[in-house]
Amino acid sequence: MMINSAEVLFYILGLMTLIAGVGVVAMQNPIYSALCLVMTMIGISGLFFTLEAYFVAGVQLIVYAGAVTVLFVMVVMLFDLRKEVSSALGGGINTAAKAVGVGIILGLILSAISLSKLGTSTMPLKGLGASSIKEVAVQLFTKYIFGFEIISVLLLLVVVGAVGLARSRGGTHA
Amino acid sequence: MLEVGINHYLILSAALFCIGLVGVLLRKNALVILMCIELMLNGVNLSFVAFGYYYSNLNGFIIVFFVMTVAACEAAVGLALAVAILKRFKEINIKNFELLKG
Repeated sequence: MMINSAEVLFYILGLMTLIAGVGVVAMQNPIYSALCLVMTMIGISGLFFTLEAYFVAGVQLIVYAGAVTVLFVMVVMLFDLRKEVSSALGGGINTAAKAVGVGIILGLILSAISLSKLGTSTMPLKGLGASSIKEVAVQLFTKYIFGFEIISVLLLLVVVGAVGLARSRGGTHA
Repeated sequence: MLEVGINHYLILSAALFCIGLVGVLLRKNALVILMCIELMLNGVNLSFVAFGYYYSNLNGFIIVFFVMTVAACEAAVGLALAVAILKRFKEINIKNFELLKG
């Protein structure tokens, strides 16, 4: 049987992403969770490359695997978090009920995917290719210009708010 | 079945979302809960990009850009709150977030 290289790439990246995702939840030490999160982000970035979303893949690597993870690792390293390892998981019937709920949600989503008529075509309708970056930029600065500007205001707001919260002593309002 | 279509990406996306959901519900450490929220958002982003690719629609790519920005903002504010709680209670258990008033 012929096996396409794109399929091999998808299965390798998907397996890596899933294993690292389970690692984020299962690791007891928060620093290992953060490192598993980096692996997940890199895997998802690779999956974006296989979907020819080159701009989104690059942004994913820079923003998530770079900036957000550095934030998490810095907070983990600033404080000694080893002594609260014992409180990592709750126990008893509460946990079982939550797991069953998540299982029901997963079953619903998977049955919705399998019942829909999406799987009939395995090839994209029309390849976007490398020109997608230019098209994304054009759309972003014409059709979505309002959302783009609102995002910049949001970023400024978050910078001020985060500094204000982090500077407070003790309580959450200084 | 071996041929990769949109269904494969959607199933992977659903699996990532549910792994993140399990983490948000079961873990007590607020930092790990924030990481799991990032995991859920990335699962949704994957389905957006898969739809955008298989239906040749650029809106899927652009909405992912916005989701990433908002997720980064959410992580920054969440971590600032976690640091404030950590200074106050000397631990980062999620039960300390019940009352945010200092």
